[in-house]
Amino acid sequence: MTRRQSEQSEHLVKMANQIALNFGEQRDLKQAAQHTGEHLDRFWTRAMREQLSAYAASGGAQLSPAVRLLFSVE
Amino acid sequence: MLQYYEPQKDFGTPAVQSESSVNLIVDGVAMSVPAGTSVMRAAALAGIKVPRLCATDSLDTFGSCRVCLVEIAGRKGYPASCTTPVEEGMQVETQTPALASLRRGVMELYISDHPLDCLTCPTNGDCELQDTAGEVGLRDVRYGFAGANHLDAEKDESNPYFTFDPSKCIVCSRCVRACEEIQGTFALTIEGRGFDSKVSAGGKDFIDSECVSCGACVDACPTATLTENSIIATGIPGHTEITTCAYCGVGCGFRAEMRGNTVVRMTPWKDGKANEGHACVKGRFAFGYATHPDRITTPMIRDSIDQPWRVVSWDEAVTFAAQRFRQIQSEYGRNSIGAISSSRCTNEEVYLVQKLVRAGFGNNNIDTCARVCHSPTGYGLKTTLGESAGTQTFASVDEADVILVMGANPTEAHPVFGSRLKRRLRQGAQLIVIDPRKIELVDAPHIRADYHLPVNPGANVAVLNALAHVILTENLQDQAFIDQRCEADAFKEWCEFIRAAHNSPEALADATGVDPQALRAAARLYANAGNAAIYYGLGVTEHSQGSTAVMGIANLAMLTGNLGREGVGVNPLRGQNNVQGACDMGSFPHELPGYRHLMDAATRAIFEDDWHVELDPEPGMRIPNMFDAAVDGEFRGLYCQGEDVAQSDPNTQHVQAALRSLDCLVVQDIFLNETAKFAHVFLPGASFLEKDGTFINAERRISRVRKVMPSLSGKADWEATLAFANALGCEMSYEHPAQIMDEIARLTPAFAGVSYALLDEQGSVQWPCNASSPKGTPTMHVDSFVRGQGYFAVTEYVPTDERANRRFPLLLTTGRILSQYNVGAQTRRTDNTLWHQEDLLEIHAHDAQERGIDDGDWVGIQSRTGSTVLRAAISSRVKPGVVYTTFHHPLSGTNVVTTENSDWATNCPEYKVTAVQASKVSEPSAWQARQQQFDQRQRQLLSGATVDG
Repeated sequence: MTRRQSEQSEHLVKMANQIALNFGEQRDLKQAAQHTGEHLDRFWTRAMREQLSAYAASGGAQLSPAVRLLFSVE
Repeated sequence: MLQYYEPQKDFGTPAVQSESSVNLIVDGVAMSVPAGTSVMRAAALAGIKVPRLCATDSLDTFGSCRVCLVEIAGRKGYPASCTTPVEEGMQVETQTPALASLRRGVMELYISDHPLDCLTCPTNGDCELQDTAGEVGLRDVRYGFAGANHLDAEKDESNPYFTFDPSKCIVCSRCVRACEEIQGTFALTIEGRGFDSKVSAGGKDFIDSECVSCGACVDACPTATLTENSIIATGIPGHTEITTCAYCGVGCGFRAEMRGNTVVRMTPWKDGKANEGHACVKGRFAFGYATHPDRITTPMIRDSIDQPWRVVSWDEAVTFAAQRFRQIQSEYGRNSIGAISSSRCTNEEVYLVQKLVRAGFGNNNIDTCARVCHSPTGYGLKTTLGESAGTQTFASVDEADVILVMGANPTEAHPVFGSRLKRRLRQGAQLIVIDPRKIELVDAPHIRADYHLPVNPGANVAVLNALAHVILTENLQDQAFIDQRCEADAFKEWCEFIRAAHNSPEALADATGVDPQALRAAARLYANAGNAAIYYGLGVTEHSQGSTAVMGIANLAMLTGNLGREGVGVNPLRGQNNVQGACDMGSFPHELPGYRHLMDAATRAIFEDDWHVELDPEPGMRIPNMFDAAVDGEFRGLYCQGEDVAQSDPNTQHVQAALRSLDCLVVQDIFLNETAKFAHVFLPGASFLEKDGTFINAERRISRVRKVMPSLSGKADWEATLAFANALGCEMSYEHPAQIMDEIARLTPAFAGVSYALLDEQGSVQWPCNASSPKGTPTMHVDSFVRGQGYFAVTEYVPTDERANRRFPLLLTTGRILSQYNVGAQTRRTDNTLWHQEDLLEIHAHDAQERGIDDGDWVGIQSRTGSTVLRAAISSRVKPGVVYTTFHHPLSGTNVVTTENSDWATNCPEYKVTAVQASKVSEPSAWQARQQQFDQRQRQLLSGATVDG
């Protein structure tokens, strides 16, 4: 992964985590994951979703709990 | 067909609202008028003009000139018709020999101290004193000029837009009253007594006074005492056309007053429902940019941005652009190109751009400048109330008992509404201001906010939650409204959240910076008001939790039952003239016109059938996504209509890198703006005076924009888009923007009833306008919410990542000032620069002293994104720890400092919170030095533009 790709992933992770937090990740993890998923489907491009999904598939170290749950990251 | 010039109708005294009517007879004509109407107005309504000088229907009656005397059967003397209310059975005579004699006598006195230079007077033919002299039959003045007079009084020519010539003043006080009653600035007064009485701008020249150059005094003046310099230079207008202002989201109606194809005056339209005859310094006076020498009126192309421009025909320009775009798509894929539309363009134009992208580019990479201002309003209000728009008319504020202004500065950014709001406050409405800065409304002449909550930048949601916490825990909510109108389960969940101790004002005090007791008192005031209305602006939306704050505002209004009637509501004050319209027209990458999501196959099918094309159901790129993808080499072609992203968008260096990366940037604008300096194709734009169309203001009001002069480039903007679309093989055919509006109406339920014919008939209408509301909808959500039941969204406060620390101990917040507009491309090319020649850094004396900074010093401002240099202005409007600036000048580099942080839901940039350090410096920043060189180089390439053949 190039430095730029890494920055790009970091940016997407930050945005996804921010979305999950605002959907009440700390109150209801499952609901936050569901709402986050719906939000990404409604507002993110396919390419951005795929990139985030690829990041999750590679371990998703920086993903917040709700986003990890969304992508079924163990 | 242009109309021929005539002054706007003036009934002498204001209209009166009354349920009962009174019958009377004036000059033998029987009539019935609302109780409380003046005799003067009653006569005028019947077409009988009583001569007058100090009366005008935009001002309260005054009764000083003694010209409007009448005779009333059964009454002694000659009462002034302006101050005498009608009574049942009253019989009035306006023309008798006695009245004629009296009026001539009064006029003789006026004229005895007035220069008799009508033939060379600038307002010859447009002067009420001249008209009145004619109406009373004045033929002789017995008193000569030998005695004391004011004929040699010195002119005040300090204001760039109008001249004050006291030799022509009749001291009717109309200007003073206009400044007080209409504008609410109280800059003018009558100084002295008796013969020495004179109009004075507080003893100063106008330019040095508190005058804000709204022009209300000029409009009100019945003589040539206060006259527009454009009228002095060119003469009175010959014909007029009604149109809509192209500056802020108030959307004032104007009469463009013309001589031939030249605008000589913009006069606020009295029948304009957004402004009712008032205007500001931008809309009334700053129209000269439309004919500024910097206008580029011919298409230009170049292969790369280090080459001179080549002037070409329209055909060659759009063919060049189309070939480049198709080439990019063939090499890099369908999603490698996109467009940005502008709120400065008409609805018809932004509709065409999104259609071009969806039907011609084959993707949804269309975004608009609302991304960087009110996109959170769209998200927040759609989620909670069901519609992405404000709920009221501007006139609704006249019924408000408590007004909450949050993150908005109406007297600077929405001045005509600001004046209306101030008038309501002077009538007794109470005011809560939530803003880090002490904006003018906090403490202005005859106005003082009941509560100013100086919230820390970034803590809006905390304040809103604390307000709701107080209302709920003190049982001040409107439970009946909630039970009837809102989702029960969501309300229950929200109650549990908001009642929690962590949402109390005391628990949040460190975060908010607001005194808990003041916050509790403000909450009680808002909740206990009969009618409470919230007005908010970009100080709410441009945050990492902008959408959450909008939802918090909607929650407050639902909680207290302040929705669905006059005097209440949730009112976003839109920044640019057509932000509402640009959003309505489907300019966001995820939704079609009318806020319908692309994922909805049924909605897609409506457009697919009409446009004969299959639409991509996937959301496209937002503006920041486009920039990121451009830097990554995945996005290579951009059509940017009427926006200047290189100046307006955050993290300028990133934006510039993105623009520099593009293989083809097509910019359509009236000037070579900052973005155009990176362009390969320049399509000359048309100003609002050069095209037909519509704008939609912050009240959802659709108003006509009318062409008053030929387009300097030969095409209106919609025609340029049409040409580009057809060059791309995306066939479009329209003869007039009315046909585009017909298509919008055909495809968009909320606009189903809109047509140019209806707009011409009604003057303007507020959407939704369809079979259910054939003449529009002034107030939304009257019986139920658009989404059915109102939704209380849980609004957890999540502090922004952008926090002050040891390295960056100050929080920078940005905003606007009265005389300049957005990136300043228009207003910097007018005399408005006199009031704002550069962007300044407002800094509190405490912070300045700590850093050894004096007023006027150069100050370096560093953030983690970049640095720039501005002059310091020591100010008590900001509190310690907060600094403030504007972004109206490109070399200020304000957005070099702002970051890529953005709203979680919409990616609206967090312009309002940037952690910075400020220090005294002696030279411009490295970016400013580079930018100056780049700017000079691009100007050289423009002046070296070649013409083929």
